[in-house]
Amino acid sequence: MREIKKVAVLGANGAMGSRCGGIFAQAGISCMFFARTKEKALLGIDNAVHQARSDILREYITPKTYNELESELPGCDWVFEALGEDKELKKHYFERIDGARKKGTIVSTVSSSLSVENLAEARSDDFRSHFMGVHFFNPPGKLPANELIFHPDNPDELRSFATRFCEENLYRINIVTYNTPGFAGNRIGFCFLNEAVCYAEKYGVDAVDYLLGPYTGRAMPPLATLDLVGLDVYRAIVDYIHGNTDDERHDAFIMPQYAKNMIEKGLLGRKGTTSGGFYIKGENGERRTLSPQTFSYGQRNAIEAGFVEDTKRCIHDGEYKKAVDIIKKERSTEGDIVRHFILGYISYSYSRIGEVTPAEHGIHGIDRVMAYGFSWLPPSGWVYLFGGPSCVVGMLEDAGLVVPVQLESQGADEHCTVPDVQKYLIAR
Amino acid sequence: MARKVYILGGYQTDFARNWTKEGKGIAAMIREVLDGGFSETAIEPGDLDAAHVGNFAGELYTMQAHLGAFICNYHTVLRGLPTSRHEAACASSSIAALMARAEIEADIYDLVMVVGVEFMKSVDSKIGGDYLGTAAWYEKECMGVEFPFPKLFDRLYDIYDEKHGVKYEHLARISAINYDNAKRNSKAQTRGWYMNLQHACSTGNYNRVVGKRLRATDCSQVTDGAAVIFLASEEYASRYAMRNGIKIDEVPYIQGWGHRTAPILFDDKEEEARANDYALPHTRDAITDAYTRAGITGPAELSCIETHDCFSITEYAAIEHFGLASPGEGYKRIEDGSIELSGGCPVNPSGGLIGCGHPVGATGARQLLDAYLQVSGKAGEYQVDGAKRVATLNIGGSATTNVVHIIGKGA
Repeated sequence: MREIKKVAVLGANGAMGSRCGGIFAQAGISCMFFARTKEKALLGIDNAVHQARSDILREYITPKTYNELESELPGCDWVFEALGEDKELKKHYFERIDGARKKGTIVSTVSSSLSVENLAEARSDDFRSHFMGVHFFNPPGKLPANELIFHPDNPDELRSFATRFCEENLYRINIVTYNTPGFAGNRIGFCFLNEAVCYAEKYGVDAVDYLLGPYTGRAMPPLATLDLVGLDVYRAIVDYIHGNTDDERHDAFIMPQYAKNMIEKGLLGRKGTTSGGFYIKGENGERRTLSPQTFSYGQRNAIEAGFVEDTKRCIHDGEYKKAVDIIKKERSTEGDIVRHFILGYISYSYSRIGEVTPAEHGIHGIDRVMAYGFSWLPPSGWVYLFGGPSCVVGMLEDAGLVVPVQLESQGADEHCTVPDVQKYLIAR
Repeated sequence: MARKVYILGGYQTDFARNWTKEGKGIAAMIREVLDGGFSETAIEPGDLDAAHVGNFAGELYTMQAHLGAFICNYHTVLRGLPTSRHEAACASSSIAALMARAEIEADIYDLVMVVGVEFMKSVDSKIGGDYLGTAAWYEKECMGVEFPFPKLFDRLYDIYDEKHGVKYEHLARISAINYDNAKRNSKAQTRGWYMNLQHACSTGNYNRVVGKRLRATDCSQVTDGAAVIFLASEEYASRYAMRNGIKIDEVPYIQGWGHRTAPILFDDKEEEARANDYALPHTRDAITDAYTRAGITGPAELSCIETHDCFSITEYAAIEHFGLASPGEGYKRIEDGSIELSGGCPVNPSGGLIGCGHPVGATGARQLLDAYLQVSGKAGEYQVDGAKRVATLNIGGSATTNVVHIIGKGA
């Protein structure tokens, strides 16, 4: 019977590596955190301890350097790879792992966009059959979604073991996805986010984040989200998806030129030391906003739209149906923009059923990844709030958006299985 | 003989939510818990005869009092409904339930809703700690004291240590069990938290001593949350059962209750503790009153207990006050595994206040809801096998107000 007693985490000094490794340690599993130096590995351990809010975790994690990889791997049951999103770097380490691991050791990659099958090519049969994608979301201590990406060489036993283990031992909410660019969450999420960046060029950063703010069902406004993700990471994701897919929204993944220029100027978002992204902190700690035209930062544009404030008030009082009705009925350019994005999100999500997640899972896998991986109101939650599939079909037709057959065929009684969708409507 | 008072079900909000971060107010919380309650039970709002709200400190946390009126705000059909709000610190919604029960027993009403609600994350922990101090004698015990309640319950720890000796690892075990139970409860506040016996026994940055000896892991949570239950007369419950295809014998009802108030000052409680076998004699009386009214002799006739673990030491005391052990020997039930989910009399299968969370005014209603779920076999992953009769103990302040309910089914 398969048991996981020891895990090796590669890239353990990074945010993903340290936090994902911490999740294994929290399950009481002995972990080795690998980094270029012991000091970096120790920083990763600090990160894991802070995530768990317990110094006890230190008893489960040992710092290691990559020099020790070949001597330590034979004792491992799982190798969790969380190196940078660099295909050649990963392949280099997978070759080393292949040469050192014992047969049957699981090897997984946390990569969010590289092809899982492609990463394992040229590896041994045993490596390939035990290799899979295990894509946690950052931070995994707060976001329990886990995209599981299997490939044809994975036997059923491994698939069921990994699924059960991630759920029962690591407390993940699993979403089985296909090995498609961006898997499910990033494919859908970044379609929305990139389009928001495009709109910001015309309407302004503040206006877009105001209109598509938390009251529309997401924890953070879109451009603030991208500052957190990092514009370089955002670019890598949309470029990869654009270069490797061809769906009805293909052009929505083209990063606008001004955003590319931001990256060239070092405006990467929060990770930059002094430079900002779409926003920057001013001398007095106030938030200043980027002009996409001049790349200078100015005072925040305190815009306000009556229907947005009315919607927030209704959400504040728990009158969610009234709030959604306001969004449905608002006749203005701003109202059209809000509906375009929410309906576009619904349309794109439903259209991906069968392509990014198995058709037999319906919308539920996509619902789970958007709720538990992005903290966004899941798409079928919006369908329910808007009044059901036939109502939303009408709204999509009015908005000139694609009507997915997967939505048309959804039963009127079929509800969103993510509980408490109203908690994603935030009155800000 | 008193008329039977049935529990038809209810609902609780997810105690992990932070309603302030969601930008919502207490009106939203009340609206959502009522939505959930009517949906879960398929009861029509128009059937209600009255409603009682339990809430500790709405005026402090949210600048909103008069919460009974918000029931009428829910739907036009509820306008004119008799409503009220009850306050007894952490026992507020148990008091609301006692009133609802009394009205049905007295044949005044047939269907009464009990709602517990508390909105606590609107202020930081220091201010919240000060507000909680109003559950004790604020002027004498809490004014100017940072986080007064752990310090008050540390004095209960001292009493136990003096009388019988206490090993800290027994308290840590209580916390670890409750956190572990909470992992099975999809509404528990701490279900995603890292916690085990090792961590509970540790001290440091992540498990600070908050009183004299009690640590962060010994404490219940600051929680936003609400719970609702529906109490009904036999006439209404019979019609409800028929409508829903269940037998009336399968519907849980209140078999017994106890309600006692101790002196509010902990100094006076300390004197009583030294003079009695039981450290909390009024808590013990509330329990024995409930046993008598339920026609049972003791915990051997209970399937499980939902008790008020505002601190681990409070559950430690409850183990013997319920009679699971003699005074001073409660630790034996910890050591022999009786109180664990798989044990002879599981305590806090929901996770309790430490694991599930403690929205102060809602805890009583939440405990009653969990008792209903256990007896109905609807407690999901934290179901106690074959649960037939469940006791709840809800305490206000430093063991000042004590309310016990015994919920069971059958003849």
